[in-house]
Amino acid sequence: MRTILILIKKEFLQVFRNPLLIGILTVAPMVQFIIFPFCADYEIKVLHIAFIDNDHSTISQDLTHTFNASGYFISHGLVKNKKEAEKMMKHDKIDILVEFPHDFERSLYNNEPTQIAITANAINTMKAGIGTGYVQNIIGDYLNDFAQNNRPPQAPTKVSINISNVYWYNEQMNYKNLIVPGILVILVTLIGCYVTALNLVREKEIGTIEQVNVTPIRRWQFLLGKMIPFWILGISEFIIGLVIMKLVFGITVQGSIPMLLGCTAIYLLVMLGLGFFISSIADNQLQAMFIVLFLFIVFVLLSGLFTPTEGMPEWAHKINYLNPMSFFMNVIKKVVLKGTEVESLRTEFIVLSVMAVVINTGAVVSYKESSK
Amino acid sequence: MTNAITIEHVNKVYDGKVTALKDVSFNVEEGEVFGLVGPDGAGKSTLFNILTTLLLPDSGKISLLGMDVINEYKSVRQIIGYLPGVFSLYPDLSVEENLQFFAVMYKSSIEENMELIRPIWKQISPFSDRKAGKLSGGMKQKLALCCALIHCPKILFLDEPTTGVDPVSRKEFWDILKSIRTQGITVVVSTPYMDEATRCDRIAMIQEGQILGINTPSAFIRDFQGKLYTFRSENIFSLLNIMEQCPLRCNYYPYGEHCHIAFYDDVATALPQFEQFLQEQGQSHGEIIAIDPSVEDCFIEIVQMRNALNQTQP
Repeated sequence: MRTILILIKKEFLQVFRNPLLIGILTVAPMVQFIIFPFCADYEIKVLHIAFIDNDHSTISQDLTHTFNASGYFISHGLVKNKKEAEKMMKHDKIDILVEFPHDFERSLYNNEPTQIAITANAINTMKAGIGTGYVQNIIGDYLNDFAQNNRPPQAPTKVSINISNVYWYNEQMNYKNLIVPGILVILVTLIGCYVTALNLVREKEIGTIEQVNVTPIRRWQFLLGKMIPFWILGISEFIIGLVIMKLVFGITVQGSIPMLLGCTAIYLLVMLGLGFFISSIADNQLQAMFIVLFLFIVFVLLSGLFTPTEGMPEWAHKINYLNPMSFFMNVIKKVVLKGTEVESLRTEFIVLSVMAVVINTGAVVSYKESSK
Repeated sequence: MTNAITIEHVNKVYDGKVTALKDVSFNVEEGEVFGLVGPDGAGKSTLFNILTTLLLPDSGKISLLGMDVINEYKSVRQIIGYLPGVFSLYPDLSVEENLQFFAVMYKSSIEENMELIRPIWKQISPFSDRKAGKLSGGMKQKLALCCALIHCPKILFLDEPTTGVDPVSRKEFWDILKSIRTQGITVVVSTPYMDEATRCDRIAMIQEGQILGINTPSAFIRDFQGKLYTFRSENIFSLLNIMEQCPLRCNYYPYGEHCHIAFYDDVATALPQFEQFLQEQGQSHGEIIAIDPSVEDCFIEIVQMRNALNQTQP
């Protein structure tokens, strides 16, 4: 017991004397928290738009003005022909082009079908998709009003359906609500895996591990003495993250916080074990860094932080069964935003616990192999 | 005297290619300072790693005070102290923190074994708050020695403890080793410096993974076969080529700023012949003086004789 205590004390002394590590532990999460959620935003606020008006009617002009009034669009006015419009789009002057056909107004009054062409620059698919959506909404709204006002008295009332959306668990469809808990996950992963792997490989590099290996101390004692400090650091970091989440972004955890911490504790064990495993196969910090970076990117992309996992192909789903981050991401999102109870998260808890046992056993074995 | 270490037929090959140790066998007696002398890459560190339970041999048997290093490695670790060839303490911990850390690793405490390390501790205790990484080379080694002795080991292994340490500190370090020996601790030390070898009770010469000979330093010197002379020359290295044509049975090699030559014929006739040979080759030289061989001369002679033997019977 005394052995493990001094190992923990030694680890903390070293952490707090390493300015780089302190930086990674304090500044990095702050920066991630402040910059990431504000920049990674799917909401499009500015769209450049231009019109080709082949009709030159009151309605087409009126519709054009409606776009200006919406606040989402910066209008570049009327363009003479398609060629000119293409040129503007090529030079990124406009994102969306709206073309009114001949006889637009007449068709409307005569209740005949007519077509409006919407052309969008799809280099940025997100912008194009959302932009055309806005355009359709505005035109739809305008035409609805038009139909209401110009309905011939004798004509039967058309049943018009208004679709209104309610987004549950994230009512304003606020992207920050999704990304902030995701950053918490990334933070915990970084500390668990990255910092631990680098720490142990460093002992290898400077040879201190050899000096420790000749002492009668047991392998598991040494690993435990490494694990506990980083485990404590990881959980503290997570708690700080929760506080920032509440104070800066106003996101309150809907579910039980003790359960959240419990899951984080298990997830950290998985990541610590992974870090140790990597350090036992890497010879120096550079190798360890590349291995962690590779795994980290795969984990993040598959985790569903940026793109929903439901859209991924079958094989990606299968790989995801091995991705601890995806399970943890699930728990965090569900507990923070939805307030899910522990019963519904049983699978995640069991999977993460099994992963923790397997990877840590692997790490101890691999560590023994490499030191013999 | 009982044996502190017995090594029997130890072999080690790295990656199936590089032979690091080849049928190494020898004993170290309890309470002696035993030196392992050989050039870089001779296999000294490999042998040390095997003796200190860090590496497994491919074959062979080693026991330390009757304990097998492979099967009883846990008890072995409690009775050995090890000073690795490179500084391996925590550079970001202070002198005292390092010492305390290793004391606890051995389930001991600084106070418990203060008596043993007091002479060394006195020298480094003024810096006890300083980070180990900020110490000078000699101080680092003294601290490392303290850490290796903090659990009062029965056998102390020192892998090239004086490499990269200044001459004054080197001398101090050897004085410390002598004092450790009086405490009944067996000391095994490796060094590439032949001059240090004379300070050991017995030495084993090792090259290319093989033990060339084991004896006391004085016995090695006594058994030197040739008659050794030294002289100064302007062209120490060009002489190497010329000496191939020398008809005498002799062994010439540069030795620092001097040339050493060992004659294996009757000196009364060989010496004048050699001087004549040098004159014929147009080599000016200083006075040729007879000297006593050092351990290094002995090492060179043994290696030479081995090579000659290997050439005649391939």
